[in-house]
Amino acid sequence: MMLDGTEDEEKFLAAGIAGLQQNSFYMHRALDSNNLRDALKYSAQMLSELRTSKLSPHKYYELYMRAFDQLRKLEMFFEEETRRGCSIIDLYELVQHAGNILPRLYLLCTVGSVYIKSKEAPAKDVLKDLVEMCRGIQNPVRGLFLRSYLSQVSKDKLPDIGSEYEGDADTVSDAVEFVLQNFTEMNKLWVRMQHQGPSREKEKREKERSELRDLVGKNLHVLSQIEGVDLDMYKDVVLPRVLEQVVNCKDELAQFYLMDCIIQVFPDEYHLQTLDVLLGAYPQLQPSVDIKTVLSQLMERLSNYAASSAEVLPEFLQVEAFSKLSNAIGKPDMATAGVVTLYSSLLTFTLHVHPDRLDYADQVLGACVKNLSGKGKIEDKKATKQIVALLSAPLEKYNDIMTALKLSNYPHVMEFLDIPTNKVMATVIIQSIMKNATRISTSDKVEALFELIKGLIKDSDATPNDELDEDDFKEEQNSVARLIQMLYNEDPEEMFKIIETVRKHILTGGPKRLPFTVPPLMFSSLKLVRQLQGQGQEENPFGDDSATSPKKIFQLLNQTIETLSGVLAPELALQLCLQCAEAANDCELEPVAYEFFTQAYILYEEEISDSRAQVTAIHLIIGTLQRMHVFGVENRDTLTHKATGYSAKLLKKPDQCRAVYACSHLFWVDDHDNMKDGERVLLCLKRALRIANAAQQMANAARGSTGSVMLFIEILNKYLYFFEKGNPQVTVAAIQGLIELIMNEMQSDTATPDPSADAFLATTMRYIQFQKQKGGTVGEKYEPIKV
Amino acid sequence: MASRRRMLLKVIILGDSGVGKTSLMNQYVNRKFSNQYKATIGADFLTKEVQYEDRLFTLQIWDTAGQERFQSLGVAFYRGADCCVLVYDVNVMKSFENLNHWREEFLIQASPSDPENFPFVVLGNKVDVDGGNSRVVSEKKAKAWCASKGNIPYFETSAKEGFNVEAAFECITKNALKNEPEEELYMPETIDVGGGGRQQRSTGCEC
Ligand SMILES: Nc1nc2c(ncn2[C@@H]2O[C@H](COP(=O)(O)OP(=O)(O)O)[C@@H](O)[C@H]2O)c(=O)[nH]1
Ligand SMILES: [Mg+2]
Repeated sequence: MMLDGTEDEEKFLAAGIAGLQQNSFYMHRALDSNNLRDALKYSAQMLSELRTSKLSPHKYYELYMRAFDQLRKLEMFFEEETRRGCSIIDLYELVQHAGNILPRLYLLCTVGSVYIKSKEAPAKDVLKDLVEMCRGIQNPVRGLFLRSYLSQVSKDKLPDIGSEYEGDADTVSDAVEFVLQNFTEMNKLWVRMQHQGPSREKEKREKERSELRDLVGKNLHVLSQIEGVDLDMYKDVVLPRVLEQVVNCKDELAQFYLMDCIIQVFPDEYHLQTLDVLLGAYPQLQPSVDIKTVLSQLMERLSNYAASSAEVLPEFLQVEAFSKLSNAIGKPDMATAGVVTLYSSLLTFTLHVHPDRLDYADQVLGACVKNLSGKGKIEDKKATKQIVALLSAPLEKYNDIMTALKLSNYPHVMEFLDIPTNKVMATVIIQSIMKNATRISTSDKVEALFELIKGLIKDSDATPNDELDEDDFKEEQNSVARLIQMLYNEDPEEMFKIIETVRKHILTGGPKRLPFTVPPLMFSSLKLVRQLQGQGQEENPFGDDSATSPKKIFQLLNQTIETLSGVLAPELALQLCLQCAEAANDCELEPVAYEFFTQAYILYEEEISDSRAQVTAIHLIIGTLQRMHVFGVENRDTLTHKATGYSAKLLKKPDQCRAVYACSHLFWVDDHDNMKDGERVLLCLKRALRIANAAQQMANAARGSTGSVMLFIEILNKYLYFFEKGNPQVTVAAIQGLIELIMNEMQSDTATPDPSADAFLATTMRYIQFQKQKGGTVGEKYEPIKV
Repeated sequence: MASRRRMLLKVIILGDSGVGKTSLMNQYVNRKFSNQYKATIGADFLTKEVQYEDRLFTLQIWDTAGQERFQSLGVAFYRGADCCVLVYDVNVMKSFENLNHWREEFLIQASPSDPENFPFVVLGNKVDVDGGNSRVVSEKKAKAWCASKGNIPYFETSAKEGFNVEAAFECITKNALKNEPEEELYMPETIDVGGGGRQQRSTGCEC
């Protein structure tokens, strides 16, 4: 009968459970009435359910567990029986009369367990008998479960040293021998299973075999728990015998799994002391076994161990673990991902065990480079992921990119990454620097670092960059920008070198990157300027013009900004020019400041054509110019003249008007008495009024468009400002006239209602009212204004 | 019959690998501790005779692998558990975060009849490490979680120093005892296992 479909299987399981329950019911009844014969009869019938061949290991395990639970009760009953005077030896004989061999052996193991407990015979003899008897079951699934039952009931009764079942001098050997024998038999059953049944069911069979693996591996766990298995015993008996079985079974699944088990269940100290043997077994495994995974599991374990305490490190040194492991992984010839996985594990290991031996770490990277050489860029996703892990390991260990920069092979490994992954790695590096606030303070280091992250700094020749995601790109470049701002050295000479180095690299970045990278470079430079200025650095008395001076920095900045205007970022260039001008102003470098302003003006005139951009630019210019105090009369006149000129030429009337009245501030600088020219202030305001008027007429002509009255109110506010500041040219009469004009405008029939203008006017009027009531000089000043 | 059943109490210990499940069990049952790390494969139990309120019980304590790759046969052994012990390492956040997963996995797989009231006990282990300086899960946080899951009793333990292990298992025993036995009651006359069906199923086997 063919078994396919889990539905059938469920049915068989349910039937098995029913049969099991029925018989255990009668078994319990027998137990309650102390009827040994019935108890044996029904328990044997119950156990017959385990003779089925129709269940997958998973389902079989369910059935087995139920039988197992029942057997615990039977076991207690046997113990009670012996206490009531029944001879355990008789019991042991008695259960052997059960008709079928499988139930018989389960019962025998159960009684055997009680037998050992009774200590009427040496544990080793009973165990030996049981493990021999189990040979009677050669069906793999049934045999494996039966033997795992034996293992389970015996594991706390082994003649281990210190155990209450301890025997004579060879007691530990006896315990080990028993477990090894059971292990060997189980492994044979397990391996043989693949050859049973039709070959078309091979896949299903392998799956089932895989499910059964823990039953076999469990024996190794039992071995590891035996107290008496010390290092010598492990080295001389346990490991060789286990490996012999693993190697000789020539089965891929078993070899892969059991090697993993060995690594996981035995302690690290043992692995270190038997590295040669363990590593010697790998080349003897089937070629299809995934050795790299097993090896890297070993290395992972050992590196965790190394990381657990500094005290264990001498052990590693003593056995030369590093060279053994690195030899072992030099050999296997395998896929790229595997190679890198291994090197990455080895590197993690090295970093833990030899944190002070950077040369070892570099050796690992070097070996990896050698292994990968000739393979070009690695495309395999798994492999590139592993390379990232490999390269991240030193960063995580040292929390310091500086250390990674010392590894000469580090950049070579990075070369193997494809472009996107190279960028990922570069980002990881930058994040590490940010997270640890790593100080990168010499131009040499900056040079090395930028070499490393060049994937982010410039386009590679190979890729078209249109496939780039805009947001990713921005994020990437923002992180570069943050990095640039972190580079710092308090020595101005070195700092200047750093700036030059960064500049050299970012200038290769092309039009898309410069807008991100130039500003942070500028800020760093201006910071240096301020620092020099703070130190009150004089011009070098010896005329050594190699010394860093603000002038020199400004020169560099000037050239840098020019490249920006060349790449169609004129607005940014203009903004930066103005910032430089302001910095030069603070350094009292008039010619330099003037030069930057001129450059800004050229940009304005020649490059900025969009009207909105012009408005923004002009307000920036006015604002900056207003704060400049370094200019002499002539220069200042030239610059302000031009600024007002630009303002009046803006495209839209309202923009013109606002820029022009803003210019009024250029002629009235609060703390500088020689920069108060009431006349020209008034000229600006009047000019603004004229423009507002013109705007008004245009609006009337266009009917319905509003807004000019707003301009008048804004200008009124400017009047009030200068009035209060004591500009003699701004008179009460002028203000009064303006108020009237506004009132008329707002009440005229053609006016469209404009709530925001109403509100603004109301506030303005309230302000005047408020000032009037203030009394004192201000009150007096406002007194004549009528509202 | 019921009395025989009540003598055996089944306890399952769950939690991430490395949190100290095996060590806790060994400390409690054998009063032994080892610093060596030896992974557990599959599931198996140790038993311990305990006395509680003048009665003797056998605790059957199931230790588990906590790693999927060493739990290839599934979790049929959850069945019939009287108490489930959830262990985490107070020095490893992830092991605490995974408690929820372990609890839910248990409730799904063991499907106790009254999941709301099924007894759990939570142990925060390894409190000895580095004098408590490396702990990342505070007692308060752990207790808050326990409270949110129906007031699960909580113990801070050290398998290494034997700290609180005895007390924890006493509580585990007490709670396991409170759990109502859940033996599917078998009534012979209610189940029709016709002889024919039985015969048919036992043909496949020679042994
Ligand atoms: N310091 C300390 N280490 C412990 C404690 N419990 C377990 N360990 C260690 O943690 C590691 C894992 O323990 P184990 O019991 O195997 O964890 P399991 O995987 O949950 O069974 C072993 O190296 C133990 O020695 C404890 O309470 N304190
Ligand atoms: Mg364990």
